[in-house]
Amino acid sequence: MTKNLLAERPVYVVGIGFHPYRHRSDATYVTLGLTAVRQALDDAAVAWADVEVAYTGTALLGMGASRIMLSRLGSTGIPMTQIENASASGSSAVAQACLDVASGRSDLALALGLDKPRGGLPMGPAEAGMANLEGGTIVPFTHFALLASEYMSAHGVSPEAVAKAAEKNHRNGANNPNAQRQKIRSLAEIMAEPISGSMTRLQCCPVGEGAAAVIVASEEAISRLGLDRSRAVRVLSSATRTERLYGPGEGIDAALTAETAKVAFEQAGIEPTDLDVLEVHDAFSIEELLYTEALGLCQPGEAASLVANGQFDLGGKCAVSPSGGLLAMGHPIGPTGAGQIGEIVRQLRGEAGSRQQPDARTGLAHMVGVGAVCVVHVLQRG
Amino acid sequence: MSQPRPELLGNSSDGTPFLIGQRCRHCSRVAFPPDPYGCEACGALIDQLDCVELRAAGVVQAVATVHRHHREVPPTPFTVAAIVLDDGPLLKAVLTDQSAGAQVGDRVYGIAEPPDSSPPLRFTREHGGPGVDR
Repeated sequence: MTKNLLAERPVYVVGIGFHPYRHRSDATYVTLGLTAVRQALDDAAVAWADVEVAYTGTALLGMGASRIMLSRLGSTGIPMTQIENASASGSSAVAQACLDVASGRSDLALALGLDKPRGGLPMGPAEAGMANLEGGTIVPFTHFALLASEYMSAHGVSPEAVAKAAEKNHRNGANNPNAQRQKIRSLAEIMAEPISGSMTRLQCCPVGEGAAAVIVASEEAISRLGLDRSRAVRVLSSATRTERLYGPGEGIDAALTAETAKVAFEQAGIEPTDLDVLEVHDAFSIEELLYTEALGLCQPGEAASLVANGQFDLGGKCAVSPSGGLLAMGHPIGPTGAGQIGEIVRQLRGEAGSRQQPDARTGLAHMVGVGAVCVVHVLQRG
Repeated sequence: MSQPRPELLGNSSDGTPFLIGQRCRHCSRVAFPPDPYGCEACGALIDQLDCVELRAAGVVQAVATVHRHHREVPPTPFTVAAIVLDDGPLLKAVLTDQSAGAQVGDRVYGIAEPPDSSPPLRFTREHGGPGVDR
């Protein structure tokens, strides 16, 4: 009989920290990572010596990057493991940290998402020896441009209606000091500079550098260390799945999202309509429409009209990508999934300032990654 | 020893290109591209997968004209499509420049490109030659 460990032994996010996402700079990954971890330790009001285990989510740093960085907080000898799960690497680091605490192995765990892309993203599947007729033409923005074509055709949705999701997320990002893009954009600006199909430059996420840290704790750690219970946000569920075989027209990423979310909702004991705030993998604007529908916030084909009506705005029924999402906050790969958790926690604490979703109680973070993989977390304040 | 990639294309006696797919003897799944390892549906070993000829013909499910590309070939703009083959599998491929205006729902046919081209086959809205629309 399998166990839902997060239901048996509650796990709480007690600390979050960031190094702002930005274009690649001369800073080392160590500087990026330490900035985020120190901020998270301060936020949680815990000492590095209290942290019992660390997971670094990174797709691009290479072997053995963690210890030389984290030992600059003190060489405590704790277990450190790097987690690679493509774009969901940071999400999976959070998942492992939660599992570590939920299992009872530790009481206080660090998940750090970190990357410093060098240009070019090495892809495992490209080495799998599978031939195809694509000739290298189907890069991510074209994969999603094709999904946009299919969606617009099936539901009679215009390119402008899809682009409105990006307009909203750029607006949200303008209020996020950790975002790589902090500029409000008009729909006309967003529709300019075509990249692939209806996807334009401002409907494609920027891939820069950054870091995001999340500290999770057990009830025991909160009591023993005297942490602020009112700022602790519970992780209700953590679900990870991989792609199965789907029929033509099902859309791999959306079908996989629906399957993963089903597990996450069941384990959390909530319904999609309970969500007040949502961070999705909006690397391309069409994805926000696909995933809000796959997550069950609305029926297939309805998401564009909900975006247009402001239902996904701050103050709407469910704020989607209040951080700016991947489109505006950015997608530095490893940090992204951990940063989503940080944003949800900020929102559920009521500490998001000018981008606060009013009365936010329940939130969900969603990432997909090459493979395809999908990771979903549901969080709730007490 | 390097592992050879499976062949993707063959030519009928009349010169019409066809796609080489696989059918699993165990679960009957028809797959394209052919897999060098085993059946992705049921896990059957490679020796359970029979090569089958698939018609290089199908219907456009999605289409996108690409304006930025990280390689010189193909030169931009070019148009790609997701195509549901008449014989079942979904694939993505490049359209001919003459068919760049293809729409979702259009029928398309495969045309062999000159030797050593990448990709080795493109799809076109025009009839590809005798015997294609079998």
